[in-house]
Amino acid sequence: MYSKIAINNVKMSFRDYAIYFLTLTLAVCIFYSFNSIESQNAILELNKNATFMLTLNKLIAGTSIFVSFVLGGLIIYANKFLIKKRKKELGIYMTLGMSKGKISIILLFETFLIGTVSLVAGILLGIIGSQGLSILVANILSVDMDKYKFVISSSAVIKSILYFGIIFLLVMIFNQFTISKYKLIDMLNAAKKNEEVKLKNAFVSVLLFMLSMVLLTIAYTRILKTGLNADNTELLVTITIGFIGTLLFFFSLSNFFVHIVQKSKRIYLKDINIFIIRQINNKINTNFLSMTLICLMLFVTITLLFAAFDLKGTIDRNSAGNRDYDASAFLIVDNKNENTMVNDIEEYLNAINFKFSTNEKHAFYSEYKLNITIEDLLSKYLSMQEQIHLEQNYLGGKISAITISDYNSIIKLNGYDPIELKKNEVLVVSNYSRVNSALPDYMKNENIINIENKAYTIKNQAPIEENIKVTGGNEFFYLVIPDNFSGDLQLEFTSFNVIYDDNNYENSEEKFSNLFNNLFEDKYRDINPALVIGSTKNQIQDKDNGFAALIVFLGLFLGLIFIISSAAIMALQQLSDASDSLERYKSLKKIGVTEKLINKAILRQSLIYFLLPLGLAVIHSIVGISAVNNIFTFHYQSIIVSSSLLLIIYGAYFYATYAGVKNIINNSN
Amino acid sequence: MQNILSVEKIEKYYGNKGNITKAIDNISFRVSKGEFLGIMGPSGSGKTTLLNCISTIDNVTTGKIIINNKDITVLKAKALEEFRRDELGFIFQDFNLLDTLSAYENIALALTIQKRDVKEIDHLIKNVAKKLEITEILNKFPFQLSGGQKQRVACARALVTDPSLILADEPTGALDSKSARLLLDSFEKLNKEYQSTILMVTHDSFTASYANRILFIKDGRIFNEIIRGNDTRKEFFNKIIEVVTLLGGDVGNVL
Ligand SMILES: Nc1ncnc2c1ncn2[C@@H]1O[C@H](COP(=O)(O)OP(=O)(O)O)[C@@H](O)[C@H]1O
Ligand SMILES: [Mg+2]
Repeated sequence: MYSKIAINNVKMSFRDYAIYFLTLTLAVCIFYSFNSIESQNAILELNKNATFMLTLNKLIAGTSIFVSFVLGGLIIYANKFLIKKRKKELGIYMTLGMSKGKISIILLFETFLIGTVSLVAGILLGIIGSQGLSILVANILSVDMDKYKFVISSSAVIKSILYFGIIFLLVMIFNQFTISKYKLIDMLNAAKKNEEVKLKNAFVSVLLFMLSMVLLTIAYTRILKTGLNADNTELLVTITIGFIGTLLFFFSLSNFFVHIVQKSKRIYLKDINIFIIRQINNKINTNFLSMTLICLMLFVTITLLFAAFDLKGTIDRNSAGNRDYDASAFLIVDNKNENTMVNDIEEYLNAINFKFSTNEKHAFYSEYKLNITIEDLLSKYLSMQEQIHLEQNYLGGKISAITISDYNSIIKLNGYDPIELKKNEVLVVSNYSRVNSALPDYMKNENIINIENKAYTIKNQAPIEENIKVTGGNEFFYLVIPDNFSGDLQLEFTSFNVIYDDNNYENSEEKFSNLFNNLFEDKYRDINPALVIGSTKNQIQDKDNGFAALIVFLGLFLGLIFIISSAAIMALQQLSDASDSLERYKSLKKIGVTEKLINKAILRQSLIYFLLPLGLAVIHSIVGISAVNNIFTFHYQSIIVSSSLLLIIYGAYFYATYAGVKNIINNSN
Repeated sequence: MQNILSVEKIEKYYGNKGNITKAIDNISFRVSKGEFLGIMGPSGSGKTTLLNCISTIDNVTTGKIIINNKDITVLKAKALEEFRRDELGFIFQDFNLLDTLSAYENIALALTIQKRDVKEIDHLIKNVAKKLEITEILNKFPFQLSGGQKQRVACARALVTDPSLILADEPTGALDSKSARLLLDSFEKLNKEYQSTILMVTHDSFTASYANRILFIKDGRIFNEIIRGNDTRKEFFNKIIEVVTLLGGDVGNVL
């Protein structure tokens, strides 16, 4: 009997439930998709690497818990809206003699029904969606999808049911709590409740608006000046100022706005703008807190998506022209302890009985540290912030060097002709121009480097941007010095580079990656305790790709959840407001406002309401991202992918809201 | 006298096969320019339905309604909307003021939806406010106004566009007797001094006694018609009471 009432209720108020249901289903779908990723074969294919899978699983598990908190909050919030809308109906049940306990049971059934349906729909949708995600991941990881298989992850299904089950349980408990607090008289009068119109002093609102502008400007300049390199308390202060600025912005905006628009009679007295403006004013006034929250959520989302996709772009770009060798290794020379056995990597390899086959072209070389630091060299051209940035990213310190004959022997592997260097000349090999403009500026303005009071002419006009070895680090700076360099040289690494033969590529790759894995696990300690580190080009690419996948992945996961949360809140507020404003729209119709004009009013309201937090969030993000990176160095794709994702979801919610509000208002008579 | 409104043999049915309510059953009458016509009848007699049909909010089943030489029963939806906006002014029992707008803005809205020139709006509002003595309360919001004040604001909103016909459905229904009297005095003034044409529906004899002519309807038909002529309001009121007693309805307010 109660289940019948519940089913009928859900059917009857489907319009109210539509957005709620949509949000739940989307949330379950996203949740399932991301949790199913560990069993997607794109990932399995690529990473037999156990540690990678472990990190991935841990991160997804952690994020899932965080996400379920966010969603739990959202669902309880959405549910509160629904209950509020139905207060009167529930009140009538009570006047008919139904006990609170029985009403609770009806609500329980309803939650259960909606929960089950959306869970099933969400998982089904997730199973389809996760295949798309799988293709995306394969793309990121550059895995061929020829072995594509349709995958259903039972562990993700169980996890989704478990997590959402708990959330729904909480919602049920919360409902019981809410119902028990309601008084009958309030429930019956719920619909009659008069909108409280807060009359606020125009002067105060203008003042507050100005204050919010000032605060935001301060926050922006602070973050742009120091970037994220400021210390934590400074950063916290900036964030707090930004937060208060945002809050005040939404708090004062509508009053300020009304005040300004009233001054312009041309806009104010056009069509039914008077009405629209008052509607918006009312709404923002009562919802400024959630507007602030949504704005900040969107800000985090945009930044997250941008950063995630951009990182992927950066990694792609770095691996593009950077590594000309198939593998490199280096032995870290122990300078303190003179009596170590060997410091030469060639002898080391002999000792562990590792031999290059004839088709593995290779060259040995030594890397030195000069008695001059990068900061010394570039100090004139480095800004304060750039200097801090160099230090924090371990890009500063003593300059590395390699002799010209060693350099020639490694570039010979690639078939380049040897370069001649006079005894007072040096070559610059570096990609620091990516980090800042100090190096190109230096090379443009000066053609001499002083090392220990001796002047060397820089032979090349612009730095050579090809690295001397295969490495996981992205930035490098080397000076190529003459063989008879007279200054202080400290041997740092002894190294080798290899290029495999195309015909024997797979074998060589396996041989070297095995060697490097063994080295990593310190298997030759007993033969020689020296520390040797090596990596093949493929290993590094896999690592980079895996890392990029992780970041894009979590960025997407959180980003999507945040977008649907914000959009759902906006939509619910708009729809519940539409029902509250029904009488007003009826009055408008009665005094002769055309349906066209009413639709226009609804469109404008929804648009302004949706665009306001997004607009401020976009401005926040532009500033925030520029603080980390020059915005113009961003990749096209990252901008397109992340903004289209945002726009599609947000836009869909906007449209659903607009259509829903229109439906509520036009179908009432 | 110029004819503003002609209602010709209209009928209005509600419901479907087997369960039909004849809310209006063959009603015809005319209203001339400058007239103040009252329509009386017991609850459920079809007053609101009649007014809704005239005001284009609802459409008739058969018959013609001609306002200012236009047959509104054949107008298309869009033309109807424009007609309603430009030719008619409405006053409702429950005011229908927008609670989010100030009195001034509520009145302005009627003009802005007509796309009136920005420059004349303020002037028109000040004028109508003076006529209805609401100049002092223009900047207040509905929740700060009494029922009578609200109804006068609604009245100003109906008048400000200078409509050919003002339609009022139980305008005093939600007012106390003092406010009702004030409002009706305004109606009388509008009718006498500004020649506004008013069609007012009421079930209250006292309210009706302000009109020049009264149509009585019962069960969707015209039952009687009385004209005030040179009677005092008191005399007219007594005549109304007689008809009402005849009709078997409630006697309502006593002077
Ligand atoms: N939308 C409707 N559907 C069906 N019947 C209606 C509708 N509106 C009014 N009626 C019926 O038409 C008759 C006249 O109603 P109405 O014009 O509202 O009366 P009054 O305003 O005189 O009290 C009543 O019998 C009422 O029940
Ligand atoms: Mg009625």
